Amino acid sequence: MTINSTSLAGIPPVAGPNAELVFRRTRILRLPRSPKVIAGVVILAFFGVLAIVGRWIAPYSPNATDEQSWVQHVLVPGTGAGTGFPASYYPLPLPPSAAHWLGTTVFAQDVWSQLLAATQATLFVGLLAAAIATVLSILFGVTAGYLGGGTDEGLSLVANVFLAIPGLPLLIVLADYVPSAGSSVLLVAAIIAVTTWAYSSRTLRAQTLSLRNREFVEAARVSGERPVRIMLVEVLPNLIPIVAASFLFTALAAIGAYVAIAFLGLAGSPSSSPPGLWNWGEMLREGFANNAVRGGWWWWWAPPGICIALLGTGLALLNFGIDEFINPRLRATGLSRRTAKKVGIGLRPKLGMTPVARHQPLVVLPNRSTTASTPSPVHDAAEPALEVRGLSVDYGYGDQAVHAVVDCDLVLRRGQVLGLAGESGSGKTTLALAAIRLLRAPALITAGQVLFYSKPISGDGPVGTVDMLSATDEELRAVRWSEIAVVLQSSLNALNPVITIGAQFDDLLRVHRPFLSPSARRARAGELLDLVGMNADRLRSYPHELSGGMRQRAMIAMAIALEPQVMILDEPTTALDVVTQREILEELTGLRDRIDFATLFITHDLSLLVELADEIAVMYAGRVMERAPAASLFHAPRLPYTHALLHSFPPMHGPRVPMAGLKGSTPDMHDLPGGCAFHPRCSWAMPRCHQEIPKLAPLDGSPREVACWLHRDDAIVPAELALPEPDVMKVRAQ
Amino acid sequence: MNSVGPVLEGRELTRSFWVKQSRGLLARRARVHAVEGVTVRLDPGRVTALVGESGAGKTTVARLLARIITPDAGDVLLDGRPAPPGRPRAYAAQVQMVFQDPFASLNPVHKVRHHLVRPLQIHHMAHGDLDGAVSELLRRVALKPPDQFAVKFPHELSGGQRQRVAIARALAVRPRVLIADEPVSMLDVSIRLGVLNLLADLRDREKLAILYVTHDIASARYLADTIMVMYAGQLVESAPSVDLTDHPAHPYTQLLLAAAPDPDRAEPPALAGRGAPPSLLAPPSGCRFHPRCPYVMDICRRQVPPSVAVSADHSAACWLHVDPSERRVNEKGLAATTTARDSLDQRN
Repeated sequence: MTINSTSLAGIPPVAGPNAELVFRRTRILRLPRSPKVIAGVVILAFFGVLAIVGRWIAPYSPNATDEQSWVQHVLVPGTGAGTGFPASYYPLPLPPSAAHWLGTTVFAQDVWSQLLAATQATLFVGLLAAAIATVLSILFGVTAGYLGGGTDEGLSLVANVFLAIPGLPLLIVLADYVPSAGSSVLLVAAIIAVTTWAYSSRTLRAQTLSLRNREFVEAARVSGERPVRIMLVEVLPNLIPIVAASFLFTALAAIGAYVAIAFLGLAGSPSSSPPGLWNWGEMLREGFANNAVRGGWWWWWAPPGICIALLGTGLALLNFGIDEFINPRLRATGLSRRTAKKVGIGLRPKLGMTPVARHQPLVVLPNRSTTASTPSPVHDAAEPALEVRGLSVDYGYGDQAVHAVVDCDLVLRRGQVLGLAGESGSGKTTLALAAIRLLRAPALITAGQVLFYSKPISGDGPVGTVDMLSATDEELRAVRWSEIAVVLQSSLNALNPVITIGAQFDDLLRVHRPFLSPSARRARAGELLDLVGMNADRLRSYPHELSGGMRQRAMIAMAIALEPQVMILDEPTTALDVVTQREILEELTGLRDRIDFATLFITHDLSLLVELADEIAVMYAGRVMERAPAASLFHAPRLPYTHALLHSFPPMHGPRVPMAGLKGSTPDMHDLPGGCAFHPRCSWAMPRCHQEIPKLAPLDGSPREVACWLHRDDAIVPAELALPEPDVMKVRAQ
Repeated sequence: MNSVGPVLEGRELTRSFWVKQSRGLLARRARVHAVEGVTVRLDPGRVTALVGESGAGKTTVARLLARIITPDAGDVLLDGRPAPPGRPRAYAAQVQMVFQDPFASLNPVHKVRHHLVRPLQIHHMAHGDLDGAVSELLRRVALKPPDQFAVKFPHELSGGQRQRVAIARALAVRPRVLIADEPVSMLDVSIRLGVLNLLADLRDREKLAILYVTHDIASARYLADTIMVMYAGQLVESAPSVDLTDHPAHPYTQLLLAAAPDPDRAEPPALAGRGAPPSLLAPPSGCRFHPRCPYVMDICRRQVPPSVAVSADHSAACWLHVDPSERRVNEKGLAATTTARDSLDQRN
C-alpha cells in the first residue's frame, strides 16, 4: 500500500536559509529522542569536552612529579633492620586529596592530569582511526557496489582478505615491526584503521548494491549523469545513517584496539624516546606494572577503566539510536507507563491482538441507527454475520494519535459481498483488520463494538454472538481462520516460502480438523485446490514456483479450507493482471454461492466493485461517507466524492471525451481539514462543509446512506447528485 | 498519416536475458526471450500506448528505446538515423524517460530543485538563469507556486506531485520523445487523470512524441492515439486506440478487453482463452498465444503469424486474418515473410 499523505496546504513557507539548513540536517539523521540516545549523546559530549578543555583545566603536567609531598617510602616487609637484608623501600601513591583529586601514581604524578591528557589522546587516535577506516570503507564499498562486475569482485576480494586477517595479532606485529610506531599517532591510527575498515566496507557494498537498482539512480543515469557524480551525490547521501553507524562502530573498535596495544606496551611509553602519548591503556599498563591492583590503589587504575567502559557504552547507545533510525521497526511502540494508563491498555500489547482502550463504551447508545435493524437493501432475508458499530481506530496515543478510522458502521451479510472502496490511506484496511483485531500496536481501538453472529457451517467453532473487542485470546483463536478468514494482497508474503503448498494445507487441517487421517487431509487439500481451479499436483510446489495468480488462488483455497462464515479480502487481485484477476473473481463468486459466506472486498478500484459487490461502502479520510446498493451507487451516486471517483475511470466505450478527474491530492491524515474532510476537493462545498463534520445518515425513503451536507435540511442538491435511482428489478434481472 | 517522419523508431527489436537456472558453480544458464521482433514508431505530437500483461516485454521495449539497455538485434533510429552506440548525452537530450514509481524515482535526500537543476546543468540548458528555468519547468507540469515546490523534499509531496516532478525532470532537457513506463499505476485513482491529462497536454502543446507503457487498456484508450498490444514478448496488434478497443482483431486483445473491469457491462464477461502467459524460457512454437487461443488452427502451432493489415492503420499478427489460400502457401514457409513485409511497407 502506498502511503500518500502529504498535502501542500499544511506546509508553512520556509522561513529563511537558516531554518532550512537546520531542517535539512535534522531530516537526514533525525534520531529518535529515546533515553538511550540522549544518554549516549551526553556521555560522548562529556568526553568530548574533557578532551578539548583538558589541556587548560589540568592542574599539573601529566609527567610532573609532586616535589612537596613526594613519594612516601614504605619498607618492604622482610627487609631492613633485623632481617639480615638491606632495607628496601617501595614508593606509595597518595590517595585522592584536595591537591590531587584522583590521587597520584607511585611516581607522584597527578592521576587526574594524566587522565585528562589520556582522554584527549585516546579519543583523538580512536576517532582518527575510525575516520580513516570509514573513508577506506566508503571508497571500497561504494565503488564495488555501484560499479559491480569485475571491479566488485576485485575490491570485495581485497576486503575479504582483510576480514580474514586476525586484527589484533596483525596490529601487534605491525606496531612492533615499525620501531617508531608508538610515538607516531598517525601511524598508530593508520595501523588500527587498516585492520578495521573491511567490516563496514561489506555493509556499504551491500547497501549500494540495492541502491544501485533504485529508480532514482537509473533516472540520474538516463539524464546523462556521470558515474562518479552519481556515487557521490545520489548514492552516498542515502548511506549517511549507515556510514554514521559504521563510524561509531569503528571508533569503538579503534579505541579498544588502541587501548589494547598500549596496554601491551606497543604504543610507545611517555617515558620512552621519542615519547609516546598518555592514554588509558598506558595508564592501566603502568598501574598494573606497579602493583596498583594488589596494593589497593584503586584511584590509579579505576578511572581509566571506568572511562573505557563509559565511552564504549556511550558509543553503543548512540549506535542503537542510529539502528532504530535505519530500521524503525526496532523501536518499541513508544508507550510509557503513564500513557498506557491514560489510554487504558496494558504496557506490553500482545502480538496479534489489537489493543482496545478500556474506557471505550462497550454498549452502543440505543438511539444510534444500527444498520442491523434496517432491512438489507438487496436480499431482505440475508442475515448479518459480522456487524461493526461505531468503530474508531487510532495509530499512536494521546496528542500524537492519528485517527485512522472514525465511527464506522458496517454489516456483512451471509451470501453477500460488501465492497469497501477508498484510496490509499483512507482507512479501509485498518477498519477491516481492526474488526478482527489483527492490527498490531501502536494501533488502538478507541471506541465501538464488533459483533460476530457465529453459526458454524462445519467444525467446532463457537455458536452464538461473539463480542470481538472483549474476546480473550482463546476466543479469538477459535474464531480466526476457521470462522473468519483473511486473504491479503501480498500472497508471496503470506505463504511460507520454505515448505510446499501441500505441507501448509496439512498444517492447517491437522490443527483444525484433528479427526482427519493424513490421506484424508491430502484428499481434502486436493479438493480445495480443485475448487479454485488449480491442479492437485500443485500441492507439491513451493510458493516461489507458482505465478502470482496461482499463489493467490492457493491462499483463497486455504482461506475456504475450514468453511468460514466471513471472508475478508484485502485487495486480493490488485497485484495481478486483468485476465488473472477476472478468473479469480469468478472463482470467488462461485465459492460464495456454494459456501454462502459473507464477503468484505476491499479495493481501490471502484469500477471492479460495481461489477462484483451487492453493496458498496465508500471511505474517505477514515470515515464511511456513502453506502448504497452497488447499482444505485454506480448509476446514481449521492456523494460528491463517489461521483468524482466514478468519473476518474476512463470508459471503455463511446467517444473519447476529456475528463477532469479530481482536483487536489489525497488528504494528510495527520492534518485533516476542518469540517468535512473532502471539502477542499469538492466542487459543491458550502460554508457549512468547512465547519461541521457530516454524519452518515439514511436518505429519505431509500436503503442508502450518505454523509454530506448537500443532502441535509434544505440544501439544493446538484443535478449530478440527484440522478434517479436505477430500477433495481431491472438491474437484478441483468 | 503524418507528413513528418517518426522521431524515434525501433525496428525489429529483439532482446533476451540470461538467467541462472539453479545455484552453485554448475548452474545452467537459460535464455529468456523477453522481446522479439518488435517494431515501434513514435511520431511527434502523438501518444503511442504499449499495452500488455506483466512479463509481456513492455518495459523492456521502453528501456530499449531509452537505450538503458541495448538490443541483441534490430535498430533504434532517431530521426531516421541509427542511434549512436552507448548512451551519449546527445541522445539523452532527445529521449527522456519517466519511471513507474514516483516514490522511488526521486532521490529522498535531495530537494525538488536538485532534481531539475542537474539535467539543466548537464545539458547546458539554463543559460545562466537556473532558478528561472526551474520555475518554468514546475509551471509546465502545473506545480504552482513553483518557488514553494522547488525547496521541498520528495517526502513532502504527494504521489501525484512527485510524478509531476519526475515528468518535469524529463522535460528539463527539452526532449522530443518521452517514454513513460506505467506513470500512473502507482498513483491513487483520484489523481491518475490529472497526470494523464498533463501528458495529453504536453503532446498537444509541445508536440512531444510519447510512449505510454501501461497494463490498463482503459487509460490507454483515453490517452493514446495508437495502441500496440504485446503478448509474451511479441507485438500482436496495433491500431488507432478507439478502433482497437471497439474492434479488436486479435484473440488476445479480445481477451484483455473482456477481462478489464467495465461497470457498464450488462453481464459478466465470458473469458475466451483462460490460463497464463507462457514461460519465456521456452516459448511455444508458432503463435505464442496458441495454447490459450479459442480459435487455434493447425498452422498456429507451427508457424509464426505475420502481421496482417486488418483495415487502414490496423494490423494484427494472427493467422485468422490471413486469407485461407495464403495460409497454405505459408506452410511452405515462403509467403509469410513477404506478407509481413508488405504490411510493414503499407504502414510506412
